[in-house]
Order: sequence, then C-alpha cells, then structure tokens
Amino acid sequence: MNNSAHHEKTSSAESLLSVKNLRVHFPVRRGGWLRGERCLIRAVDGVSFDVAEGETLGLVGESGCGKSTTARAILNLNRATAGEVWLDVARIDQLSPSAMLPHRRKIQMIFQDPFASLNPRMTVGRIVSEPMDIFNLHSRRDRKLEAMRLLDLVGLNPRFLNRYPHEFSGGQRQRIGVARALAVQPKIIICDEPVSALDVSIQAQVINLMMDLQQKLGLSYVFIAHDLAVVRHIADRVGVMYLGKIVELATSDELYRSPQHPYKQALLSAAPVPDPVVERQRKRIQLTGEVPSPDRVYPGCSFADRCPIADAACREKSPQLEGEAHAVSCFKPQLLAPTVANNT
Amino acid sequence: MMNSPEQHLSPKQHLLEVDGLQVDFKTDDGLVQAVRGVSFYLDRGETLGIVGESGSGKSVTNLALMGLVPRPPGIVKSGRALLDGQDLLQMSDNALTAVRGAKIAMIFQDPMTALNPFLTVEEQLTEMTILHLNHTPAEARDHAVSMLEQVGIPGAARRMRDYPHHFSGGMRQRVMIAMALSCEPDVLIADEPTTALDVTIQAQILDLMAELQSEHQTAIILITHDLGVVASVCDRVMVMYAGKIVEEADAPSLFANPRHPYTMGLLESVPRLDRPHGVSLSAIEGQPPDLAHLPPGCSFAPRCPYALEKCTVEAPPLTDRIDQGRFACFVNVDDSEPKPFAAKRT
Repeated sequence: MNNSAHHEKTSSAESLLSVKNLRVHFPVRRGGWLRGERCLIRAVDGVSFDVAEGETLGLVGESGCGKSTTARAILNLNRATAGEVWLDVARIDQLSPSAMLPHRRKIQMIFQDPFASLNPRMTVGRIVSEPMDIFNLHSRRDRKLEAMRLLDLVGLNPRFLNRYPHEFSGGQRQRIGVARALAVQPKIIICDEPVSALDVSIQAQVINLMMDLQQKLGLSYVFIAHDLAVVRHIADRVGVMYLGKIVELATSDELYRSPQHPYKQALLSAAPVPDPVVERQRKRIQLTGEVPSPDRVYPGCSFADRCPIADAACREKSPQLEGEAHAVSCFKPQLLAPTVANNT
Repeated sequence: MMNSPEQHLSPKQHLLEVDGLQVDFKTDDGLVQAVRGVSFYLDRGETLGIVGESGSGKSVTNLALMGLVPRPPGIVKSGRALLDGQDLLQMSDNALTAVRGAKIAMIFQDPMTALNPFLTVEEQLTEMTILHLNHTPAEARDHAVSMLEQVGIPGAARRMRDYPHHFSGGMRQRVMIAMALSCEPDVLIADEPTTALDVTIQAQILDLMAELQSEHQTAIILITHDLGVVASVCDRVMVMYAGKIVEEADAPSLFANPRHPYTMGLLESVPRLDRPHGVSLSAIEGQPPDLAHLPPGCSFAPRCPYALEKCTVEAPPLTDRIDQGRFACFVNVDDSEPKPFAAKRT
C-alpha cells in the first residue's frame, strides 16, 4: 500500500544518518518467584530509518517503547546488540570510545532534563566552550568569543557567560544545552524529549528556536518525544514505536491525517486537543490493558493483545514494516476513523 | 457533568467557597507571595480546571485547602475556605483530620511518592475507612476490594497484598484514585493526575474519573498545565498567573473567546494535532516573574504585547465577562488590533 509511484528510498549513501535493523537487548535477572532466572529485555528490536540532511525525523511512542534507548544506541552510549548505524558513510556502532570521539563532532545530543544535564559547578561559558576544548576548535582566546556568539544565537544574553546553571530557569537551561550541542558545529542533533520538562509558554520558545536554528544552520534532528502534537509540529517524517519496533513511518502530514496502524490511531485518538467543542464530539479508540513487558517473545504481532481489529492470523505471524513513502507494520492497515488532523 | 447557568445569580450556597486566599513563603530570597488573593467557588458534580505554569500558585492554593502548606516556611496569611459552611483554614489539626479524606480528598501527580512504599495496598486502603467510616477490619477489607474493582484493577482481591512497586504507573494512579474516593468525598482535588502517564493510559484514567464522578456527584478540582485535558473534561476553567486568577469562564467560552492576553498566549503557544505541520508557534516571550520580586501593576505586563502604560503601575481587578466568567485586564482585546506574541529577543 502507498508505495506506488514514489521515488527510490534514499539510499544510505545520500542520507546523513542511517540506522539499520538496530537491536539493543539487555540481559537481566528476574525478581519475584522466578528470581535469578535470566531473561532478555528487548528494548530495541529491529529499528531502521534514514535521516537526510536538513531533515527532522520524529520518533513517538509511550514510555518503554525504546525510543530513548534508540537515541542512546545511535550515539554509542548504549552498545547495540546487533544492527548498524552509519553516519556520513562511516559505520559508528561498534567503535571504541576513542574511535567514536571524532564522529561526535558531527552528532550531538540534547537531553530531557535541563537540570541534570548541565554540570552545576561549571560556568555557562565553560559548559559551552568545553566541547571546543575537546576538539581543539578555535584558538584559546576565540573560544570565549565563540561561546558568546553561541549564547546570542540561542537567545541568551552573552554577558551571562560567567553565571552558573542554577541561576537560569528551565527554558534558559535548555537553551544552554542547545548552545553546547552547537559548539562543535554538528550536522545532526539527537534530541531526547527536549521540551517535555518545560512549561507550555516556554516550550513554544524552545521549539521555535530549534526550528530557526535548523533553517539557519541546515541541521538535521532526530526528535524524540511522547507528545504527538509537538512531534507533528516539528518533524518532517515521523516513526511510531511500540515495544522496540517502528510500527509506522511516514511524512508528518500523511501520518497524522491518514494513520494506518491501529496503535497510531489509538494514540492519536487518546491525545486531547485544546478545544472543548472538538473534544466533546470525538470518539476515542479505547485501548484496554497496558504495554506488555518487553521480555516476552511474541509469535505474532506484539500489539495484537490490545488491538481492536486483531484476528487469529495476527497472533500467529509477526508483520513486517512494509511500504516506501508510508511504511506500516500491520496485516490489516486501514483508517479506522477520521482523525482530528483531518479537520484542518 | 452538570452546568447550571443560574449559579451566579442564585444566592444558593456553593459546596466550596474560597475567598481572598493568600499564602506566603519565607525564603532566603525574601517573602514569596505564592497565592495573592484567590476567590472561587465549586459546586457539587462539576469539574473545575485550574490552569497555569509552574509557580502560578495553582498547587499551593489547593494545598492550603487541604491544610498541607508546609509551615514554616509557608503561612496562610488570610482568606476563608468554606466547605459546607465550615472554614477549612481555621480548623484545628484534629478537625482537619476528620475532614481530610472523608469530605475532601486529593490525588497527586506522582503516585509512587504519594503511596507509602512500606505498606501494602490493603493497609493503605483500609486505614482510611477504619478511621473515617468506623469500619471493622473485615468491612474495610471488603470495601477496599470493591474500590479496587471499581477503578478497574484486575484480580483486585489478590492484589490487595501487593506493595505499590508491584503496580505500573497507570495502575498506581488507579490505586490512588481508589484511596481518594473510598470515603466518597464531596470534593476531589486532582493535582496533575495524568501528567506522568502515557496518553492511552491518561485517557483511561480521565474516563474513570468522569465515571466515578457521575456516580457519586463528586466535585472535582483538576489542576493541570495541559489545555487538551482541560478541554476534554472540565466544565469551568480558571487561569492563574503569578499567584492570581487572571481569567475564569466556562470551558467552551474560555477556549472560544479568551479575554486575557495570557490566556490567549497560552492557547496560541501549544502545538495542536488539528493544525498543519510546520507553522511557527507564537510563543509568549520572556519568563514568568520572580514571585519574591513582583513588578508593580499587572504581573503579566512585561510579557504582554497589549500592555498599556497603566498596566505597569496598577494591577487590574477581576471584572465580569459578558458571560458568567471573570477576567483581570484593562485592555479590551476585542476592540484592539490583534497583536502577535512577537519573537522578541530575551
């Protein structure tokens, strides 16, 4: 379906970041009455996507779906169990920390918690110029000027250079985190829930900043969030994750107007819209139960137990992510009901 | 959920009436005025949403109602909060203990920290009804099991002996709701009850709260920063900024016709599922004010594109909207040119 006349999928040679069949499994020991028995948490279980230059790829999903682990594995902060990560024609997933270092100039990360991700004992100036020290960028004297330029770029007063993180609010700290990521002039930034800890009005400021910077600097983003509206807003293409797998991947407009996977549709219908008139007319696709534990192996589709349209076949065989422009991993892809995005 | 238009006109007593509530905190930075004269009412069976950002005073207002403002550093400086004619703010600790849980109960954002990790769910659930309803342990146990069944916990009887950490986030929140509702309180205060939960679980919990509300005619105060949640469950909405109510109206009017620039800004700054991708959000520039050093005049004025000179000197009083609501702003936003919350540099 939907794979009709679209041009060839961008090959990894053209895309900036290419993730192929990534798996991250954590061996753990069980508690409770099975105490001690070993089992495997399949946090990420076969994830593939490409990110082109200047593009934003969004990853959405609920807690435990593996989106953050995917981010960390791309940066080699968690070792991938299997699969490949290619950055600009170099394979980076199996590199040692020292071999990985030069690649970190191209790929940076912004974290969720602006309070935990900045060293409280370093001044803002040092936080922002430390990456330049590591990569020996600019002359020592110019680093301070560069740090001031970066602060200005992210909308902070350059005179704040000698202040400490605690003197800033959450939104301002997140701007400092962005400035630090930009210090090495990366090509791509992995953003793990960068705005979810911020207040609504501040969240909009940071989203706008990130979109401005992307235009100015030609950055690519992998933007991970649980807020569907935020992701729709910022991402060009969006992947929906469930239990360690991408279950649907398409352009943002396509995915929100014409979602095909029942899980994505349930997610969309559960997310409230700030409009009482719309809200009172909406019918939700109610999911029963909760996300099952990722230590079980399913013969069939991992969503089958909660799926409103699953049948016996879905419990026997596992569907694969298929389709080019709009990829879905479901045997019965269909639009169950119109989504709110169709009102626009 | 009910919504009676004559509420404002009739002299009938409201279930809860809060009048001129002020709460201060003494800090190293000076006196922080967390709540600065808040008045509102609540009727049986309705859901009142309180919206605001961190530091707007929405949580402290409700902690004051529950007698839970930490003293020191906090102090409830003035005000009344009449629940069925009794002033919650003047009660002795013993009198409060009799009311809390029985007539007014609270659900917190993080069920893991609100439940006692050392006690089984059974011990925590039965404690309430033994205290307030004089249940015998056996009655209390039966009641607790039926509450857990009502909130949709599978195998309720079996799970009574489990500890909070045995439950998932959504299930823990259900346990909290079961606990809060086990004495059928008149008022339920829910402080960000679904913020820590995933959307599909959030939808389940909100539905559950609405269901239990219509069964028991509970009045709910829902504190949240999520305008989507407000739109989907609240009858009336109060918007707070820097310790004050800046606007209040029934939900459809507030969303369709916001009168305070802050409310307008909030509504404009959320990305929406029903809006196309890529349009720039109109963010409210600047930061919320420091509550220890509040500007004179309207505390939103420094961030407000509509602000007049008068706004920086004098604080606007709460005046009535044409419909039932109130708002605190000198500017008539309908008569003036729409102004963008422009991208000013901070």
